Amino acid sequence: MTSRFDRRSVLKMGGGLLAASALLPRAAFAQSTAINYWHTFTSQSEFAGLDEVMKLFAAAHPEVAVTQENIPNPEFMAKVTAAVVSGSRPDVTMVSSERFADLLAMGALNDLTDKIAAWDRRSDFDDVRFASISKDGKVYGVPAFTFVDWMYYRKDWFDEAGLAPPTTYAEFRDAAIKLTDPAKGRFGFGMRGGAGGQAYVINVMEGFGAKLMHEDGSISLDRDKAIEAVDWWSGLLVKDGVVPPSAPNDGFRQIMEAFQTGQTAMLWHHTGSFQDNAKLLKAGVEFATAAIPAGPVNRVSRLGYAYNTATKPETIDASWEWIKFWGEPDAAVAFLEKTGYFPASTKAAQDERISGNPLYKPAADTLGFGIPSPSFPGFAGWSESVVLPAFQRVLIKEATPEQAVDEMIDGLNQAIA
Amino acid sequence: MAQTRSRSRLLWDIVSYVVLIGLAIACIGPIVWTFLTSLKYEADIVTKTMHYIPPRITFDNYVKLWNQSGYPVLVINSLIVTSVTVLICLLTGTIAAYAFSRFQFRGRTQLMLGYLVVRMFPAVLMIIPLFIVMRQVGLLDSTFGLAVAYTSFLLPLFVWMLKGFFDAAPKELESAARIDGTTRIGAMFMVVIPIARNGLLATCVFVAIAAWNEFLFALMLTTSQGSRTWPVGLQLMVGEFQLPWGMLAAGGMISILPVIVLFAIVQRAMVAGLTAGAVKG
Amino acid sequence: MAEARITYPPPRTAWDRYNPIRLIGEVSETRYWMYLLLLPSALLICAVVIYPTLYGMQMSFREMRLNRPDLGTDWVGLKHYARMLADPIFWVSLRNTAVWVTSAIALEFLIGLVAALALNRNLPGSKVLAVLILLPYFLPNVVAGHMWALMLDPRLGVINDVLVHLGWLAGYKAWFADPSTAMAAAIVVEAWHSFPFFTLLILAGLKGIPIDLYKAADIDGAGPFAQLRLITLPMLRTVIAAAVILRVIGLVNSPDLLLILTSGGPGRSTQVLSLYAFQTAYKDFNFGYAGALSVVMFILLMGFAWAYVRLSKVNED
Repeated sequence: MTSRFDRRSVLKMGGGLLAASALLPRAAFAQSTAINYWHTFTSQSEFAGLDEVMKLFAAAHPEVAVTQENIPNPEFMAKVTAAVVSGSRPDVTMVSSERFADLLAMGALNDLTDKIAAWDRRSDFDDVRFASISKDGKVYGVPAFTFVDWMYYRKDWFDEAGLAPPTTYAEFRDAAIKLTDPAKGRFGFGMRGGAGGQAYVINVMEGFGAKLMHEDGSISLDRDKAIEAVDWWSGLLVKDGVVPPSAPNDGFRQIMEAFQTGQTAMLWHHTGSFQDNAKLLKAGVEFATAAIPAGPVNRVSRLGYAYNTATKPETIDASWEWIKFWGEPDAAVAFLEKTGYFPASTKAAQDERISGNPLYKPAADTLGFGIPSPSFPGFAGWSESVVLPAFQRVLIKEATPEQAVDEMIDGLNQAIA
Repeated sequence: MAQTRSRSRLLWDIVSYVVLIGLAIACIGPIVWTFLTSLKYEADIVTKTMHYIPPRITFDNYVKLWNQSGYPVLVINSLIVTSVTVLICLLTGTIAAYAFSRFQFRGRTQLMLGYLVVRMFPAVLMIIPLFIVMRQVGLLDSTFGLAVAYTSFLLPLFVWMLKGFFDAAPKELESAARIDGTTRIGAMFMVVIPIARNGLLATCVFVAIAAWNEFLFALMLTTSQGSRTWPVGLQLMVGEFQLPWGMLAAGGMISILPVIVLFAIVQRAMVAGLTAGAVKG
Repeated sequence: MAEARITYPPPRTAWDRYNPIRLIGEVSETRYWMYLLLLPSALLICAVVIYPTLYGMQMSFREMRLNRPDLGTDWVGLKHYARMLADPIFWVSLRNTAVWVTSAIALEFLIGLVAALALNRNLPGSKVLAVLILLPYFLPNVVAGHMWALMLDPRLGVINDVLVHLGWLAGYKAWFADPSTAMAAAIVVEAWHSFPFFTLLILAGLKGIPIDLYKAADIDGAGPFAQLRLITLPMLRTVIAAAVILRVIGLVNSPDLLLILTSGGPGRSTQVLSLYAFQTAYKDFNFGYAGALSVVMFILLMGFAWAYVRLSKVNED
């Protein structure tokens, strides 16, 4: 009797302990863990979206207090680098796809594989959404929203010329030539040859078959195909003259303004700039959207993600609550409503407000065949400080495509050496 | 003879006016343009037809700027950083400049160059180690820490400039005071510094402006809203997917306002100092 | 100064012995006084700057690629310096830096001097003009850079519009897209922004020149240019020297404005050393090589300052 009583009481006590230990993390949170969140949001609409998500989060998780801190985008990596090196990192950091490899190599990110595997919202996301934040089977973040590459074009000009939106590079060039009219001050295409233009050079090279990362894990650039690509892409300015002469210094702002002021007929960017264009041009009437045309060898449209990652190991549990909250349809749709940024969750992307809008269809299509940008440590640096200047030298006729590609290959070898 | 001199003076006066007015237009033109831009709607800035005068006027840019950027906090932080920087420079730099200007001693040239040398190592590379130091002494992400960092590279500027002004101040008055029995320190505070006060003011203005406008250190050494300065707040408006010209222009206008006020005050003091005839050697 | 007139040595009282002002006064008569005056500033500078500078220098002798931890952080001797000799971008940047600094300084000094001389005539209205002329210096680099980018913009730029209306340009020009104008345009922006530095300094210096010197020169029949050459410039020697050295250091070390206007492009036509070091450190994360670039910039600046101080005889009376 006594022994049975004892055993039962022991079991009871053990059960109580188990229940208590299950509650422990919660209890720890009850003291309210403070985490800070580094991001690169700047515009009013982005802040409105962030505010909305933070409000929803505060209601759902009173035990985690989030402080947001915005970092200027151009200096973001410098800032994170200094924080990591000196040991004063933030708890959660927003990481865009192209920054992942460098940050991981620096040791800035923490492994979230197990947490993500056990997460009930994991099935809302296609596997491919995690491709740009995974390495060697480990996953380091959760996508918050997506930027889908696409093309904006002047629907009124295309209609006037009786043209359909191009689907291949060849059609694209033809359309650009036809729509260029110096008398009207019109150019067929607004090429980004200034800041940020490296991404397009790399995309076009891949479109011509010069892929950077190969199946066997090696990294190299096919010289002949790359030359063909650079020759064609720079040729739009130096041979065909279908691009404004300001192209070598045209960054995001300039290509947008060229399109918005009616200087250019086509613009390659991603879904993030839709609302900006819609402010100055009538969507569906003056401009429309289409998928990026396919190259002769590969179809290259990028899917870029903003991931949330845990950067400080000590607070990883509290951080995880905030990171995964961005995957809740409520949060994703609230953010979309304020910013127009595409949700990364497939379930949220099926929302009527997106699938019902024909202007968004090319983006929804691109989600099917779009691919992530190449990513390896040193990629961002190489593409910005070698590929872009080398390409610009072709644009200003200081170098031939051959010389530029050789410069790129030398730089690549140095970057991965 | 006297007539030709006055005629040539008149000629030079006219030349001076032409130069000054030309320069003033060149200087003020872009600022006026910034001001006009700040009153425009985005659609009137990003447009094919150039509007010299805004076709419609809006103060929306200022309102948005105020609401979005937390301007008051940013400006107060900037003011604190600037004042602390100037104060530290005044306290430590004035006496150093005096020493360099008035004494011949061993190692003077080397020491003076030494003060310059600390400014020469590119800030870009100093930031990470400075970051580590600041973190260890607990001054990271604080306005005081930022002011100390500024002092390290503005103090040499302060000392070098002020030395030039002390050099230009005639030594005779000081010698006279010394003969009358004033101590060295007495001569410094009661004779030399009053004579060189225009230079002192000019130097302070430079240090203040440099501290007010500094960007790179401010960006790297502060993160939270509580210690961030105005130029960093301004740069934050330049987003990846936007460049709000109107707001940026409004920010530019607002950012020169406090400096103009400060300068107006200082200018009066400078003029007062000049008319008092203190400089007549 | 009447109240300062005391007989020395004054009679000592008990209070006098402990009066702190008196004690400092006595210390100020010792031969170590000047070192004491220098001590606070020297300590402050050392405390903040020495460690970061040494740290930056030692990086230049190490392998330090933050995104390549597999390479370790071993000492590599002069590897980075050897690479620099064979690095065409380094040489282009060095040449551009020389062009950038000398042209900007020459322009700033010239405009600054002319403006200061004109302002120093104290003509009616010159106080207002002085404030207007000094305004550009009050703008933060961030604002000045972006606003000039807008004014020179190939689509929205008012300067293009004005030049077209004047008939000086056939159409809007993309100043920063053409290697033959990009650097020149950037230099104009820099000069516009910073020439008031020289104006204010030179003006303050001019106020300190005794008028008697000019009166004497007038009597000797020296013309305005002779007076400028024989009186004004020699009297301003130290002020000008300090201003030039400080501006050179500022121009060599700060990439702010070029970062906003051109990022070094098109091609590498506006790539300067500070920009290259910045990109190497924070885009390529190669702190070893960036450290070596910084050390070279540092040595070049030291050499310049040393030679300049020697030649301009700043430290002689």
